[in-house]
Amino acid sequence: MTTSFSHAPSLPIPGRRLPRISLGLLLVLPALTAITLLYALPLIRSLVTAFRDGSGAWTTEHVVRAFSLYGRDMLFSLGVVSASLALIAAMSIAIAGYLTLGATPWAVRALRWLYRWPLFIPFVVTGQLARSFLATNGMMNNVLVETGLMASSSAQSFLDWRGLVLTFAWKQIPFVTLLLAGAMAAVEQSHIEAARNAGAGRLRCLFQIVLPQAAPTLWVGLILSLVAMLSVLSVPMMLISGNPTMMTSMMAHRITYYGDYGIANALGLFSYALTAVTAWFYLRLTLRREATR
Amino acid sequence: MSTEALTLTDVTVDLGRQRILDGIRLDVAPGSFTCLLGPSGCGKTTLLRAIAGFTPLRGGEIRLGSRTLTHLPPEKRETAMVFQSYALWPHMSVAENLGYPLKLRGVARAERARKVAKTLERLELAGFEERAVTELSGGQRQRIALGRALIIDPPLLLLDEPLSNLDAAIRRSLRSELRRLQKSLGITTIMVTHDQEEALQMADQIVLMRSGKMVQVAAPQALYEQPADLGAARFLGVDNTVTRHAQDPVVASQAVTFGFRTRDARINEPVRPAALTRKGRVIECVYTGDGYHVSIDTVDAELFATSATSVAPGTFAVLQVPESALIPFGPDDRHLPPLDRHEDIA
Repeated sequence: MTTSFSHAPSLPIPGRRLPRISLGLLLVLPALTAITLLYALPLIRSLVTAFRDGSGAWTTEHVVRAFSLYGRDMLFSLGVVSASLALIAAMSIAIAGYLTLGATPWAVRALRWLYRWPLFIPFVVTGQLARSFLATNGMMNNVLVETGLMASSSAQSFLDWRGLVLTFAWKQIPFVTLLLAGAMAAVEQSHIEAARNAGAGRLRCLFQIVLPQAAPTLWVGLILSLVAMLSVLSVPMMLISGNPTMMTSMMAHRITYYGDYGIANALGLFSYALTAVTAWFYLRLTLRREATR
Repeated sequence: MSTEALTLTDVTVDLGRQRILDGIRLDVAPGSFTCLLGPSGCGKTTLLRAIAGFTPLRGGEIRLGSRTLTHLPPEKRETAMVFQSYALWPHMSVAENLGYPLKLRGVARAERARKVAKTLERLELAGFEERAVTELSGGQRQRIALGRALIIDPPLLLLDEPLSNLDAAIRRSLRSELRRLQKSLGITTIMVTHDQEEALQMADQIVLMRSGKMVQVAAPQALYEQPADLGAARFLGVDNTVTRHAQDPVVASQAVTFGFRTRDARINEPVRPAALTRKGRVIECVYTGDGYHVSIDTVDAELFATSATSVAPGTFAVLQVPESALIPFGPDDRHLPPLDRHEDIA
């Protein structure tokens, strides 16, 4: 009997529930409105526009034309992005690994100080830097020729897919390294010591003990980099003249010169699809990890 | 791999400008169990880590059998260490954790599986191969960590407070289990602990450490009965010290101070000859299960004793300690050797 009495005061009183719900709603409303108006609606609108013709009837013509006109650019984008991600992954694992397992304290300190610099440089400046560095008579070739490592006749411009890959990687490596080094630092020191005690050298420690534990963070970093690379307009505009080029360039071209939102949105569809695939891949990975926990 | 002797010669470790270990010299016989005992910050874990290769030496030499370990990286030392936190790799199953040291040595998959199964059987965890280590209890993790260390038949086993994260009952049972296992394998073992009871129960030889130095190296009984100095005695449960009076028994001619343990001091019992006695007022009397713990305020100091019956605080009482339980210390707080005692008697 006493329990029912003690529970009595906490029973909900019908008249009082309502204000609490509306207060909660009020708190969520600004964020919800912003997401709906600034993100969800434009996304849906662009998806719808990709499948509508000038008179408003449903059509797949934009998608078909986008593929026939820009199929090569799509493949080019895919190739550039994949190559950049591979380079970013390799370099950030190397840098974060050295920061975590490095044996020379001054080198680790210097690297920790140096690697972050590109983080503070905007994409548009990065593009400009890359132009003056990678061009036929740019700084890279000049240095190579001056030091006698290369004949001036064999100097060539890197302002093509290679320039894009190098620029994207240069800009995104510090970001992914920052995330990955944090995750690696969170791995218990005793896990690394136990592996070394068992007979594993530093490289094995990196790939068999530290990296598997920090891998989810690496995936997050790579997916965020993928999204950044697919959305950057300045770098491909500045580095590449002519075809094939990144899809952002093509979308901008389609809108600026033709006012053709249909095909631009159909191209955008491909970007969504690409990011959606990676997001799905990542979710599957994390869910499987959670399940084995 | 057969078990081997460990020899430390003048092992010195600095951290920045601070000296952490100072001239440690130690011989560990093959197949023996040595405990490094001392309060927190005495350098016992640093010494263990120095042997494993995780702490660089400022000077000195570490030899295992005929090999010099001093300049080898940890992965080349072949010492097997069990960490306080167990350090099981969470992304690997039990079998993968146990098999990893074998994998590093290029042992084939089938042979690995066989050895893992055998080890699990010995640890009474048969059939645990596919479990995630995060599912295991503290005691089970401890066993897997031990199994992972032993699976390569190392010449030296290093244990860093392996039982400190377990609750009291499991700790007691694992103590004897660990000791049995060590004896059956005959592996040279060094264990760090701050628990004197653990050290006394398990070790063949105890190294008592303080502020980076070795205070005493002795067998458990010798250490317990003849602590090297007053500080060591206090760490080993000698709670009471009294200044020697003229009428006190002559245990050693130069004794200035006597130390004794609370359980050797009795209250209000008929005074026997050749016993140390002190009078004082009872401050507190606490029930401890097998008797009473009594605090007495004497002129010199506050002393502790045991009593079979309750004593009322505020009353006067006589505390007595038999001669055999007195530990004599000289003017420099050093323990006076028993030889001195014989001379006196003669």
